[in-house]
Order: sequence, then structure tokens, then C-alpha cells
Amino acid sequence: MQAPSEAPAGPPATGASPGRRFDRAVAALRYTPGQLRGLLAILTVLVLGAGITGMTSILAKSAVIEETTSQSGRLSVAALQLYQALSQADATAASSYLTGGTPTKEMNEAYRSSLRDATVALATAAGEVKSGDDAKLVAELNAHLPVYTGLVETAKAFNRLGEPVGATYQEQASTLMREAMLPRAHELQENALGQLAESRAGAEAFPWAAAALVAAALGTLVWAQIWLSRKTNRVFNLGLVGATVVLVVFAGWLTMAAIASAGHTTKSHEEGAQPLELLAQAEITAQLARAEESLLLIARGDEPGAAKRYEEHIQELVGPGGLLDQLDESFGDDPELAPSVEAARAAAETWNAGHDSVVQTAAEGDYLGAVAEAVGDHEDSLATSFGALNEALTEATKTSADRFAESTVDAQQALTGAAAGLAGLALAALVGIAIGIQLRVAEYYA
Amino acid sequence: MNQHPYRTRLAAACAAATGLLLAACTSPSSMEPPQVDVPTPLPAGIVFDADVTASVPDDSCDPLSSYSPGTVTAEQARATLDNPDVVSIGVSQSTNLMGYADPVTNKLTGFDIDIATAVVQALMGDATKVKWVPMTSGERESALNEDRVDMVVRTMSITCDRWEKIEFSTEYYKAGQRLLVTKDAGIESVTDLTADHHVCTGETSTSGGNIAAVNDQVKQVTVPDFNDCLVLLQQGTVDAISTDDTILAGMAAQDPTLVIVGETFSVESYGIGFQKDNTDLARFVNGALEDIAAGPTWQAAYDEWLKVPLGGAEAADRTVQYRD
Repeated sequence: MQAPSEAPAGPPATGASPGRRFDRAVAALRYTPGQLRGLLAILTVLVLGAGITGMTSILAKSAVIEETTSQSGRLSVAALQLYQALSQADATAASSYLTGGTPTKEMNEAYRSSLRDATVALATAAGEVKSGDDAKLVAELNAHLPVYTGLVETAKAFNRLGEPVGATYQEQASTLMREAMLPRAHELQENALGQLAESRAGAEAFPWAAAALVAAALGTLVWAQIWLSRKTNRVFNLGLVGATVVLVVFAGWLTMAAIASAGHTTKSHEEGAQPLELLAQAEITAQLARAEESLLLIARGDEPGAAKRYEEHIQELVGPGGLLDQLDESFGDDPELAPSVEAARAAAETWNAGHDSVVQTAAEGDYLGAVAEAVGDHEDSLATSFGALNEALTEATKTSADRFAESTVDAQQALTGAAAGLAGLALAALVGIAIGIQLRVAEYYA
Repeated sequence: MNQHPYRTRLAAACAAATGLLLAACTSPSSMEPPQVDVPTPLPAGIVFDADVTASVPDDSCDPLSSYSPGTVTAEQARATLDNPDVVSIGVSQSTNLMGYADPVTNKLTGFDIDIATAVVQALMGDATKVKWVPMTSGERESALNEDRVDMVVRTMSITCDRWEKIEFSTEYYKAGQRLLVTKDAGIESVTDLTADHHVCTGETSTSGGNIAAVNDQVKQVTVPDFNDCLVLLQQGTVDAISTDDTILAGMAAQDPTLVIVGETFSVESYGIGFQKDNTDLARFVNGALEDIAAGPTWQAAYDEWLKVPLGGAEAADRTVQYRD
């Protein structure tokens, strides 16, 4: 750079004003010590900026990974659990009704635990919502749930008394669930998944701002050393050289951590989150079909809509291009998941075939026979094959959940210490720069 | 002089720290508490303020005149069945007190079932030689015409319209349309219903038209399955239910706070339906119905199922007319 020139007369300086202070600072830049201080300020800003943006972007990535992995406390997980729990509650309530007011201990337990899961998920979702729309959905679901359980309990009481009106209460409960509650839970889930996809895109993105700042800091630092060596005829300034090395390490670490964690995040999404979503969808669809099947018997043929809806749900599950087909396509050659998917398909097909026979039995007038086939606990009952289907789906869910957790642990390991390390490196670079420049400044006052 | 750079750094660090803090603490902006209503549970397909046109009496035929028993024997009648060893009968399994599948015993129970069983006994000589086919009210005529059942005993009113498609027996029970209300509602008859009241009927039944013929003020609410009406009345969504008194009896029997009020304002004559042109079976059953009404069977069935909610009625109240 050019040597500092003669200092011109400063502007008339009377009275302290911001203008005057600024002018003095500009004047100081014409002398070498002032220039050195200016250089220090610029480098400080650049290195601090790189350090802070690098650290925050790593922290943000870490937070997103945390968000996608932790099994509780997040809106998307809570919304999915809510949807699952509600559909399970309705399927269980409806099939319990068919047992004539004396459901088994397991049925009672399943109904109660699905209600518990639903309320916990609602409470979690209430704490996690970030938009007015989602808050309204959660509040509406909160208002609906006690009305739903009220209808179910009324149905139970009439059922125990042997009064047929209990069936109508049970049907109304299912109608409320089907037409008001499940669509809202689904909407909440869609919103949450949308938000998650956005933040995942953020986690996979390369931290360009930090990279640009670190490049600028490095460039400035190298130029400063060349300028200083010309000015002072000294080749190396140890402080600045140290800072340069530290910044190079900083840039390398930032790049490696970002690329590695993005890779793991993508992998965990494709291998963990996607099958988890598909499996959850399959589980929910099976519960919906099961609820309609029970409703068909509860209404004793007076509810033609239930037959149609059962058919829609079961087709969505086992039909061509349905959920099981999609699972097959994605994981058919996956040695860990394929057996579960295969078992789920076998159980679903047994169930669907048995369903037709139950409908036939009911149409022939053997109501109790049809009910026994549907909710009995013997080997050929629909309850048994539905249970097998659920078990297979749960097994597959467990496998993918483990896998999901593993790959997110990998992603997080790539980030472990990166935030603190980058901050430390930035500070070390700052110290090096400060020392290096202060030594030169001090020479002017020696 | 040395302090300046230091201060600069300090300021930068503070700014950075503040930025970090802000980023960490960003919270959802204070949201207004959402406005939410507690839902009123309603059955699927309910219609408030249904547009109902008043029904006009159809006197295009003499609906109650059936075929005289003549000399048709049980053997001749059995020969008309699809399977001479088993008669298949369409019934309801969801109409309390008339045709209802008891979930505890798995037995069909009710007045219709008792009458049908007596007919089976006369026709087959054995009350167990029957196949019960549960069906909805909308399926009654098609089940006969598509040969799924030999006869239908399912709260089916004899009408001129239906005579076009199927054959009928003589009247085996004279039902009528009345009102079901809560005991303290202060509603005594259909004329007490005002424009502020809602009355519930089945969406495919003729009940709505019969109400409109005698009261064009009251708001009508229709549901696909009239069983939903009872829940709506218990929840206070409607003020009254109106349909055949036999069906109202099945509802009143489930809730001691409900009562059937008012005179009947339309007569519904229940008959047994047969396949078109199967007049031999109709003749035989008409003869059997005469015996059933004359013997203890009819009264026993009535007393068991309908006497408490509906009061007294006798077999002699049935209208018996023959066209030949």
C-alpha cells in the first residue's frame, strides 16, 4: 500500500461533536499507527463475524438434528403421535362396544393408553406451536376430546344396560372423530412436517456466510502481512502467521463439519424418517379401517357409509400402489425391514379376506357369530390378524426408529465440539492478530 | 491510546453476545388465545330446516284389500318358496321392540319377529325352518324383487305405491304416527309444536310429509337413520321425534324421561310383503294371520313388546279386507 502522506490541517476543532471525533479518526488513518489500528479493527470484525456465524450455524444444525431425532417434545412428533393415538382410541372404542359392555382388560387398557398418548401429545403440541393456525387446531382438538370421550362413555353405559341407543352414541363418537378430530390432527401434522422440511433444508445448507467471512478474514490477513513486511522489512510477524494458520484450520473444520452433518442428515431422513412416516401412515390407515369395520357391525347394516370407508382405507393399505406397496418398493430388499413388511402384508390380506366373511355372516343373520369373528380372541378372528398387522408394523417402526437414531447420532457426532472449537479458534486468531499488530504499533511509541 | 482497540473489541464482543442471545431466545410472538367452540356432536348427514312437502292421501287404490285365503294349502304355499325346506324372511335387526338382534342372546326379538315366527310355524310346520335376513328399510322391496327373500316382515306400511311392485298380506298391525317428547316439555300434541321447535324424522320416511300436512310451522330435522333422532332428543338438539308409534315405543322404552304423546295423525298399516305375483303365498299367510289373530299368539306378542309404551290394543283392531 502507499505510504501515509503528510497530515493535512485538521478541520477547525471547537466543541466536541460526533463529526469532530470521526474527522479525527479519519485523520489518524493517515499515519501508520492509525492505519495499523484500522487494520486491527477490520480483522477483528471479520474474524469475530466468521466465528459467530460459524458457531451459530453449527448450533442451528445441531438444534435441527435434535429436533428431528428426539422422540418427544417436538411438534411434528407430537402431531403424529396425536393422530396415531386418536385413530387407535376410536378403533378400540368401537371394537370394545361390540363386546356388549364387557370389554377385555386388554381392550380397556388399549383405550386408556391411547387416550393418555393423545392427551400427552396435545399438551406437548400446545407448548410447541409457533403459529396462530396451529394454536387454534390444538385448542379445537382440546375442546373436542372431552366431548368424544363423553359420547364413548355414554355409549358404554347404555350398552351395559342393553339399550340399543348406545350404538347410536358410539356411531356419533366415531363421526365426531372422523369428521372433526382426525382432519384437524392431520392438518397439524402436515403443518409440522412442512416446518420440519424447512428446517431440514436449513440444516443441510452449507454455511456460506461463515465461509465468506472466513475467506475475507484470511484474504485481509495475508494482504496485511505482505503490507507490513514491505513497511517494516520484516518477513514474518509471528502473531499474524499464527492467526493465519488458525484461520485455515477454522475454515477446514467448518467445511468438514457442515458437509458431514448434511450427509448424515440426508441419510437419516431417507433411511429413518421416510419409512417412519410411511409406517405411521400404514398404522393409522389400518386403525381407520378397523374402526369402520366395527361401526359396520355396531350399526347393523344401517350405515352404508362405513362399508365404503372401510373399502377406501383397506385399499389405501393393501391395494395396488398402496402404503404396503410403497413400503415394499422402498424397503423390499432391505434385509432388516423386508420380513416385517412381508408379515404386515400377509396379516392385512388375511384380515381383509376375513372381513368379507364377517360381512357375509352378518348378512345371513348370525349377528353374534359375525361379532365373534370380528372381535373374538381366537386364532381366526379379525382381531387376531389385525393384531398381527399392528405387531409387524410396530416391529418395522422400531427398526427404522433405531436406524434413524443411529444416523442422527452420527450427524451430531460430526458436529460435536465444532461450535466450541470454532469459537476457540476464532478467539485464538483474534489474540494472534492483536498481539501481532500491537507489537508493531508499540514500535512507533517506543 | 491503547484502550481504543480494546474497547472496539469489547464492543464487538458484546454485540456478538447480544446477537447470540437474541438468536437463542427468539420466541413465538405473543399469540392471541384462539377462539374455540365446544362442538355439538351431530350424526353424519343431518339436515336442519329440511324442505318437506306435505303428503297428500293416496286413494288411487284400496291398499288394505288383500287376497282371500281360499283353499291354498301349506304344501302349495311351500312350493312357491325358493327352497321348500327353509323360508327366508327379511327383517330388521335394529328396530327395538319390533325386530332387534339382542347382542346378549344373539336372538332376534320383537313384535315383527313373533308374528313372523308364528307364520313360519303355520307354513313349515316347524318354527325353526327359517332363514332370517336382516335388512335396512330401503332394501325391503328390492330384496323381494331380486329373490333374496320369500317375504318381508319389517314395519312395512301397505301403500298403493308398493302394491305396484310387490304383493301384501292383510294388515297385521295398525300403527300410527305420533310424537315422542320429554315429559316436562309441555308438548301434548303435534299442534303444540311451534316455529321455535325442531322435530326429527328419518330422511327417507314419509313421517316428515305427514307432519307438514298437519303442522307447517315446526322446523323439521332429518337424519339418515332415525335411531339418531333419539340421541338428538336426549342431547336437546331437537324437541320431538315423530314416526310410527311402534318405533317411538322402542325409543321410549330406553329412556324413562321420554313419553309418547298426542293422537295418531296418520295411519300406518303394517303388512307382510311378498314377491310380485306370488299370490298363493299371500293367500296362505292371510289365512295364517287370521288364526294367529284369533288365537293367543297375537295378543301375547303385543302384550310382551308394545303394551307398556303404547297402551292397549287388540287383535280385533286390525282391518281385514279381501279383494276377491
